[in-house]
Amino acid sequence: MSFVEAWLASFPGFMAPLLLAALGLILCERAGVLNLGAEGIMAVGAMTGAVASLSGVGPLSALGLGAGAGLLVALPFILAVVVLRAAQIPAGLALVALGLGASAALGRDHTHKPFDGLGAMPGPALLEDLPLIGGMLFAQDALVYASLMAAMGLWWYLQRTQTGLRLRAVGEDTATADAAGVDVQFQQLAALVPGCLLIGLAGAYLSVAGSQIWTEGMVAGRGWIAVALVVFARWSPLRAIVGATLFGAAEALIPRLQTLGLDVPVYILSMTPYVLTIAVLVLFARPGRLRGNEPGALGRPYIRQDR
Amino acid sequence: MVAPRTQVAVPALEAHGLAKRFGDALVLDHVDFALAPGEIHALLGENGAGKSTLMNILTGLYSPEAGHVRVGGVAAAIRSPGEALALGIGMVHQHFRLAAAFTGRENVRLATGNLPALRGRGRTDAALDHALARTGLEVPLDVPVGDLSVADQQRIEILKALSLGARILILDEPTAVLTDQEGDRLLAMVRRLASSGTSVVLITHKLREVLAASDRVSVMRAGRMVLAARGVDEVSAEILAEAMIGQDAPATLRSPSPPGAVLLELAGVSVLRRGAAAVRDVHLSLRSGQIMGIAGVGGNGQQELAEAIVGLRRLETGQVRLAGADMTGRSVDQRRGAGMRYVPSDRSTQALAPDASVNDNLAAAAVSRGRLGRRMLLPRYIRAHARGRIEAFSIAGVTARGTRPVRLLSGGNAQKVVLARELDAEARLIVVHSPTRGLDVAACRYVHDQLIEAAKNGAAVLLISEDLEEILALSDDIRAMSRGQLSTPTSERPSRREIGQMMLGHA
Amino acid sequence: MLERITLERRAGAGPVRQTAAYTGSLVMAIALSLGVLVAAGVPIGALYQELVVQVFLAPTGQAQTLTAATPMLLVGLSAALCLRLKFWNIGLEGQLLLGGIFATGVALTDLGGPVRLALMLIASAIGGALWIAAPLLLRLRLGVSEVIVTLMMTNIAYLLLQHLLFGAFGDPTYNFPSSPAFDDAERLPRLGFGSVHLGLVIALAAVAAVAWISYRTPFGFASRFAGHNPEAARTVGFNTTWIIVVSVLAAGALSGLAGGIIVAGTEFRLSQQIGLHATFNGIVIAALARNEPLWIVPVSLLIAGLTVASASLKVFYGVSEGVVLIIQGIILFCLVAGQFLTTYRVSLTPIEAVR
Repeated sequence: MSFVEAWLASFPGFMAPLLLAALGLILCERAGVLNLGAEGIMAVGAMTGAVASLSGVGPLSALGLGAGAGLLVALPFILAVVVLRAAQIPAGLALVALGLGASAALGRDHTHKPFDGLGAMPGPALLEDLPLIGGMLFAQDALVYASLMAAMGLWWYLQRTQTGLRLRAVGEDTATADAAGVDVQFQQLAALVPGCLLIGLAGAYLSVAGSQIWTEGMVAGRGWIAVALVVFARWSPLRAIVGATLFGAAEALIPRLQTLGLDVPVYILSMTPYVLTIAVLVLFARPGRLRGNEPGALGRPYIRQDR
Repeated sequence: MVAPRTQVAVPALEAHGLAKRFGDALVLDHVDFALAPGEIHALLGENGAGKSTLMNILTGLYSPEAGHVRVGGVAAAIRSPGEALALGIGMVHQHFRLAAAFTGRENVRLATGNLPALRGRGRTDAALDHALARTGLEVPLDVPVGDLSVADQQRIEILKALSLGARILILDEPTAVLTDQEGDRLLAMVRRLASSGTSVVLITHKLREVLAASDRVSVMRAGRMVLAARGVDEVSAEILAEAMIGQDAPATLRSPSPPGAVLLELAGVSVLRRGAAAVRDVHLSLRSGQIMGIAGVGGNGQQELAEAIVGLRRLETGQVRLAGADMTGRSVDQRRGAGMRYVPSDRSTQALAPDASVNDNLAAAAVSRGRLGRRMLLPRYIRAHARGRIEAFSIAGVTARGTRPVRLLSGGNAQKVVLARELDAEARLIVVHSPTRGLDVAACRYVHDQLIEAAKNGAAVLLISEDLEEILALSDDIRAMSRGQLSTPTSERPSRREIGQMMLGHA
Repeated sequence: MLERITLERRAGAGPVRQTAAYTGSLVMAIALSLGVLVAAGVPIGALYQELVVQVFLAPTGQAQTLTAATPMLLVGLSAALCLRLKFWNIGLEGQLLLGGIFATGVALTDLGGPVRLALMLIASAIGGALWIAAPLLLRLRLGVSEVIVTLMMTNIAYLLLQHLLFGAFGDPTYNFPSSPAFDDAERLPRLGFGSVHLGLVIALAAVAAVAWISYRTPFGFASRFAGHNPEAARTVGFNTTWIIVVSVLAAGALSGLAGGIIVAGTEFRLSQQIGLHATFNGIVIAALARNEPLWIVPVSLLIAGLTVASASLKVFYGVSEGVVLIIQGIILFCLVAGQFLTTYRVSLTPIEAVR
């Protein structure tokens, strides 16, 4: 396999978790909830997925358990933010601490133990052997394809359904949504629960399909990248595919360049997602000409009195 | 135009003896109201006359303490906006309930999606198409509402209400945000709607509209219906203005003082708010020792004018001069140094830091001008300064050391804190905006006495208020503000009626 | 049914309610934290010994706690300065890393001769201030949310640190990514009490200075007043932009100084470990101290004690280091949730009353 071919074949595995986490965050933020806790949720998802796999559970169930555990650790955050209208930024940071801490404490006896996780889907050999793009398109695991479908599904849900419209209304202009008879709390719960499940799934993917091993700190900032990715994608699930592909491809490329013995400043290159995210923020800062798309009520606790 | 009035059909909407109380205030005093099918019924009244309360009851936001409502002749209990909609009552609020990032179509869908009868995109779109056909409106429906003009947004609000099945449409000051031409187009459209059977309540301040566009008119004042359902051909602008404003007032509280030298001069002042002209070409001059009252219905540029004078808002054109010195480019701090003071209309958001102590709130202005020390600021300086002010203005509810947060004070005492801070010995020009809003009688009296006292001591007072009583009682000179413009009465002591007409932009 | 339960914003809570809400959340946090420790395998009888005696009463523990508290004082102070003005700086760690990098830069290039140590600390403060200047500028000029930018800047700072450790600042003789050890002249002198070093004095001086400025100068008055209500502050003539610029830059400088003090006071080299959880620590400390400068001191000691205790809990009871993070998360959650009691009033009145 050529260098380019191997890189192309490997990057979807980096893209999928970023995309899943970004989709989860898009759900939360479109309902007006700024969830900074992704890093913590992903850590718990990854740890749970690994521990489940180690105890003999099949890969798909392990992924499911990881997603569920992600939701479980996010429950205090969800309750604080939706019911108690708590300040979302510190609550999100608390969730990061809780998730990183819990995954480290509970997964302590399971670190550095490899297991057999989710492998590539069996595809037609003929296609897999296509030069250059065969591996990238046809030799991936199920979740890579599922994440792409989830992105399109989420786009359809948000843009084309009545419930999606209500969810967006809550994030965009809570008072107007409330006046139109939308149950604000219910919509936020209906966004946060699947959102946190998706983020947990993204974490589980890292261990079950990615590294196939649990080590502390293995999420390695991907939760924060996902937060950035949402800004980069300007809260659109379809643009999130582009962003996740870009960020994932960069993540896959950099270590490969190193092994080639090329003298490239890898860490400087790794900064690009963050620099790009700031650039997008700056570019869309001025309202008017360019649409920033940021949900208008993002991060603001709402009570009916404010109407 | 007169036809619907003479019909003896069952009223589309009837209210009998509606009463509503907020705290001690009876804001709606057993009001009757009747709306005939297919008529345009104008409802007039000053701010606080009770129009909004009445409409909020009819749209299910408030429930009345007494009285009952009949819709189409059938007794109805309207407990929520949803129930009002189910009865065919729709309202277009002055502040639109539209999500700016959504398209018109999405906004309509958001509202209709909760009605079982309109669930599903097909049915919603059909209802919208029907509303478009009835009104003949042309609005871009697939553009984010935030990108549309105010007039287009209003059309979407009306389409929304009609799509929801409104047969009774309440429009709250629909033309206040429109240009005259847009307003005329709107009223023509409303007329079309009425002739197709929709009953319309038109809440307005503008006499021109009442006389030109409606079939019948009712006037409210101080929670009562003072003029009920008269045909427009039976009334005149004079009758309506008098009904709204009331009889001529008693003499002023104070005798006019001898005017001093010119202190404040505004020359061609224009101010923008969110890109639109809020204050247009205002000229005035005010002498020391004088109180000038600026009357007007809220939201006609008074806030922007006040902020422009004290330096909180940039002037688009024109000049602000204080005692001959150009203040236009100066900071708030510099203007305060020159003797400008400001009592904003909203105490808790603009004047006070509610969580900070009484002491700190009293000392803030002195601290900002370095009066309590330029480098060092000892708590005892702050305490001593505050104690003096607390005594001078007999502010009650303060703890011995003055560390109690201001938010725990009553409204009257909180306002005293603002006055005590602003009305110091060096105050030369005091811009006061709605200083007695929400205060009880004793506190009002106190505030008025302080303003009179300040003027007697040689300060110039610019009193901006929606309370005509207050303006008439205190002012040596009166102006009225309407749509950003200032108008001067013909006589030195204008009648209430004249001021009323000026406030309504009709003079 | 939910419609019947309505929330109102309180016009304000009295001191009694505020104290009750604060103590309530604190008690809740402590109870939950102790529960976590017991669940993690610490015998109930050992809790007092480990969490109080070993870290606050025994001399060696005291020295360790004071050393650990040194950078925490600075990041707590930094977080408090920003949070007071509602500037959401969640990039304390990035500013701290830049401080460490700048101080190391001075040390490795042997700048400054006899005043090199002072130069290192000044450089670290400048580094932190520079790192917060970008989000500050973007917020003031373009209205860009500082939340995401400070976050991104932290990630960028971490990558910059690694770039330097594997390159220009790296120590080829050492197995781990780290800079060469500092010379004696580049280390903060010990104070003769365990590993406690001059940095503690500097940090306490910073607390005293911030407290003094906050409560004894017009600028401090203005920043407190603007923190309560920026609009009212403008009305009385304070320049709120200037207040935010000065306070936020100072906060960045304090975080940077924390980084400088870590490399020059305890690590004596730049490594990947220096920034550990500065953002959590800072925000937890500021939240517990309710942004009051003097309260930063006891709260920092408390959190430092917890960190030190975790090290021995790890050795003796096999408690994971993650438990400290869990406890920090719990504390922050409890404080944030406790705000509910002071911010909102729950009532069961019909809908109309809340409109």
